[in-house]
Amino acid sequence: MRGIQKQLSEFEAAGVRPVAISVDTPEESHKLIQKTGYTFPLLSDPHLDVTRRYDLVHHGGGPAGNDIDRPAEFLVDSSGTVRWVNFTEDIRVRARADEMLAAARDIH
Amino acid sequence: MPDIQRRNTALWAGFVLTITALLSQGLYFTRIPGQHIFPWINLALAAVAVILLGMGLVRAFRQPQIYRGKVSGSIATVVSLAVLAFTVSLFVGVRAMPASPGAPRIGQKAPDFTLTDSNGQQVSLAQLLSTPIGTSKPKAALLVFYRGYW
Repeated sequence: MRGIQKQLSEFEAAGVRPVAISVDTPEESHKLIQKTGYTFPLLSDPHLDVTRRYDLVHHGGGPAGNDIDRPAEFLVDSSGTVRWVNFTEDIRVRARADEMLAAARDIH
Repeated sequence: MPDIQRRNTALWAGFVLTITALLSQGLYFTRIPGQHIFPWINLALAAVAVILLGMGLVRAFRQPQIYRGKVSGSIATVVSLAVLAFTVSLFVGVRAMPASPGAPRIGQKAPDFTLTDSNGQQVSLAQLLSTPIGTSKPKAALLVFYRGYW
């Protein structure tokens, strides 16, 4: 997400709107934004309703064995169709902003 | 009979590699490209470390007149094995991810949603895909699902 923030103007120039989703409450997201300076929206899915619909629930993945989101990234075009996707296999290794930008520029 | 024993290089190389495998975990905090091979490098380092430690120990105990390291080598090996166990458990732990067979794939529709942002505003996918960026219509939305900070 740091990488996305760094290259946010490039994403926007490519016509792409980044948005991040987790179980964090809006208050927690607000704190994170104050700490990190993220200017793209952080959306709150505390009961995992949307996460379940995307089949991205990581059961017991949280520190207290709570259910959280597994990391994953989707590029969705204006018709609502998925054009690029990444399912992280190792939580230490995330999709790079460059990679996502390249995929975004391929959408016409 | 040699009165100076040889240094048991394999043992110490194994120990150094063990520490390297552990410290190389710090590379994830950098943004170096090619990160997807890092976990495998970690694991390979750990595997080579085990082989070297084994070789070193065998030398120290079978040929004590030539190689040093019976006591120090045993200690280094025990410490190394603990560190390596941690390295390997980390490798397994961070990859314990659900398979997500039902997640939307390329070419499929992304399910619409409405969620609350950090300002308490409701935001829907349809909105994200239609609200102009500057003056132009957006081409796409990038949905980043993350673990959260709780």
